[in-house]
Amino acid sequence: MTTTPFLSIRGVAKRYGAVAAVEDVSLDIAEGEFVTFLGPSGSGKSTTLYVIAGFQGPSVGDVLLRGSSLLRVPSNKRNIGMVFQRYTLFPHLSIADNIAFPLKVRRRSKAEIDARVQAMLRLVRLERYAERMPAQLSGGQQQRVALARALAYDPPLLLMDEPLSALDKKLKEEIQFEIKRIHNETGVTILYVTHDQEEALRLSDRVALFNNGRIEQVGSGRDLYDAPATHFVAGFIGNSNFLPAKVASASGAAFEAVLPDGSRLPGLTGARLAGASLAGAGLKAGDDVAIMVRPERLTITRGDDMAAGLVPATVTATTFLGDVVHVLTRTSWGGEVSIRLPCDGFRGEPPQTADKVRLGWPAGAARIYSAP
Amino acid sequence: MLLDFDRLGWLRYALCLVAVLVGLFLLLPILLIVALSFGSSQWLQFPPPAWTLKWYGQLFADPEWLTSFFVSLRIALTVMVLSTVIGLMASFGLTRGRFPGRELVRALFLTPMVLPVVVLAVALYALFLRIQLNGTFIGFVIAHLVVALPFAIISICNALERFDIAIEDAAIICGASPLEAKLRVTIPSIRLGVFGAAIFSFLASWDEVVIAIFMASPDLQTLPVRIFSTLRQDLSPVIAAVSSILVGFTAVLMLLAAFLRKDKPS
Ligand SMILES: Nc1ncnc2c1ncn2[C@@H]1O[C@H](COP(=O)(O)OP(=O)(O)OP(=O)(O)O)[C@@H](O)[C@H]1O
Ligand SMILES: [Mg+2]
Repeated sequence: MTTTPFLSIRGVAKRYGAVAAVEDVSLDIAEGEFVTFLGPSGSGKSTTLYVIAGFQGPSVGDVLLRGSSLLRVPSNKRNIGMVFQRYTLFPHLSIADNIAFPLKVRRRSKAEIDARVQAMLRLVRLERYAERMPAQLSGGQQQRVALARALAYDPPLLLMDEPLSALDKKLKEEIQFEIKRIHNETGVTILYVTHDQEEALRLSDRVALFNNGRIEQVGSGRDLYDAPATHFVAGFIGNSNFLPAKVASASGAAFEAVLPDGSRLPGLTGARLAGASLAGAGLKAGDDVAIMVRPERLTITRGDDMAAGLVPATVTATTFLGDVVHVLTRTSWGGEVSIRLPCDGFRGEPPQTADKVRLGWPAGAARIYSAP
Repeated sequence: MLLDFDRLGWLRYALCLVAVLVGLFLLLPILLIVALSFGSSQWLQFPPPAWTLKWYGQLFADPEWLTSFFVSLRIALTVMVLSTVIGLMASFGLTRGRFPGRELVRALFLTPMVLPVVVLAVALYALFLRIQLNGTFIGFVIAHLVVALPFAIISICNALERFDIAIEDAAIICGASPLEAKLRVTIPSIRLGVFGAAIFSFLASWDEVVIAIFMASPDLQTLPVRIFSTLRQDLSPVIAAVSSILVGFTAVLMLLAAFLRKDKPS
C-alpha cells in the first residue's frame, strides 16, 4: 500500500532518565477512525498521547499527520483537539467564552464565533448553559463543554485522555453515547485513552492494548477477545483461565501438552495456537507453556460422561446468576478454574460443591502461550 | 472536632471575652489616635474637651505634608506594580521551573522577610552611598521592592501551586501560544493571588519607616518619615491627623484584601 496513513506513530519512545515511560510504539491510524489506547496504569498511554499533542518530545521516533512530521510544530500550531482527564475549563470564563476561546485565539470574526459557539453548544446539548460559569456545572457537563471547546475549531484529530474516569457509571455511559454520536456526526478522528475495557470495546473501531510502554496487540475488540496475541492480552481482556503445562511432544504444528497432574492434552493444533508466530514458534518438548481457555468455553462432565473430559477437578463453589451458572473448581495441583455454564448447558442438577468432575473444551477453544 | 466551638459550654464566653480583650489591646492605640485627631486640645488631652476638624485643615494647608503624601503614594504605587510583575515572573520560575538550587533561590527571595529590617536598611544605605542612589526616587523604590517582593512571591506562588497546569495546557492545545495562555488563562485564573500581591506590596512600602529613614533626603520624605521627624520637634495633633489618614488607607486596603479572599470561588 502506498497511501499515506492519516496519523502515523513511528517507533516512539520516551525516557525519563533511566525510566522508559514509552518503550517503542508504532501505529497507523486511518482518517475518521476511533482508536482506543487501553492498558493498565503506568503503561504509557498518556505519555504517547502527550507526544502527539506536543507536550512531550519523544526520545526517539516520529509522529506524522498526513505524511508530515509534527515534531517541529509547537503544540499550539498543531491544530489538534484535546480533552483531559481533569477538568480544564477556564475558570474565569463563561461556558460560551470557553468554547469561543480557540476561535478568538485564531482571530475569527465575531459573527463566525457566535454561530460556531451556538452550533457546538447544540452538539453537546448544553444550549441553556451558555452563560454559566464552569464551577456551576456538574463534572459530566464540564467534560461535555471541554469536548465542545476541543471541537470548536474543527480539528482533524481529537485526543481524549480518560475524560470520563471521574464520573459515575451511569453518567459515563450517557456521555460515551454522546461521544459516539458526535464521532458519527463530525467524522473526526479520535484517539481515546482509557483503562476501562468495557469503555474501550463500546466506543472504538480498534483497540491498542498497552503494556509496559509497548503495544501488545492492535485490533477490534473481537480480535482481542477471540485471538489474543499474547499471554498479557489474554489475561487483560475478558476473563480467562490459565493452566500451567509442559510441552510433551511437538511435531510441526501439532502439540501435545501435559498438565501438572499428568493429564495429557493432545491435538493442540497449530492452526488455533495463539499467535503461532509469536508464542507457538519454536516450542519444543519440555518447554513450559500456559494454556488459556475462556470460562464460557469450558464444559463440565460428570458420572457416565467423565471419560469425555480432559482435566479432573473438584467443584468448590456454584453461583446461580440467572442466565448462567458460575462454577468454581480446583484442580489436583491446586489451580483454580472458573466456568460459566448457560443454565441449559448441563443435564440434571447443577454441579454441587465437592462433586468430582472433569473439565473439557471443544477443539480449538484453547490457546497456548509460552509461560510468562 | 475536639474543640467544637458549640460544645465548649461556658468556655465559649471566656473565649469570646479573651478575643475581645486582645482585639481592644491591639486596636485601642489606633482608635485613640483617630479620636485625638478630631479633638480640640493642642496637648492631645483625652478625652478631648471638644471636637474639631482644624488639625485636618492645618494638615491640608501645609504643602510639606501633601508633598510627602504624594511621595509615599508614588513610591508605593511604583513598588506595587514592579513587585507584582517581578513577583509573577519569579513565581512562575519557582513553581514551574526544574533547576538545581530552586529551593535555595526561593529562600533567597524570602530572606528580606526574616532579616532584621535595620540590618537591611544599613546594608542598602551603604550600597546606595556608593552608587549614589541615596535620597533618590529610584533608590527608594528599589529598597522598598526588596521588602515588598517576598509578600508578592508568597501570595502568587500559593495561587500558582493551586492552579492545575493542565488548564494552561488546554489553552495551548486550543491554539494559544505559551505566553498568550499565561496572559489570557493562567493569570486571570490566579487573579486573587495577584491582587493580594499588589495590595501587600503597596502596604509594605506605604507604611515602611526604618528603611525610609535611611533613604530619605530633605526633599524626598515619605509620610512615615515626616511623621517621625516632626514628632521629634513637637507633638502636634496634626500628626494624629496624618496618622489617621495613613491608618485609613491601610484599613481600606486590608478590607479589600479580606473581601477578595472571601469572594473566592470554591
Ligand atoms: N515526568 C515524568 N517523569 C518520570 N516518569 C514519568 C513521567 N511521566 C510519566 N512517567 C512514568 O511513565 C510511565 C507511563 O506513564 P503514563 O502517564 O503514560 O501512564 P498511563 O498509561 O497514562 O497510566 P494511567 O492509566 O495511570 O494514566 C509511568 O510509569 C510513569 O511513572
Ligand atoms: Mg494516563
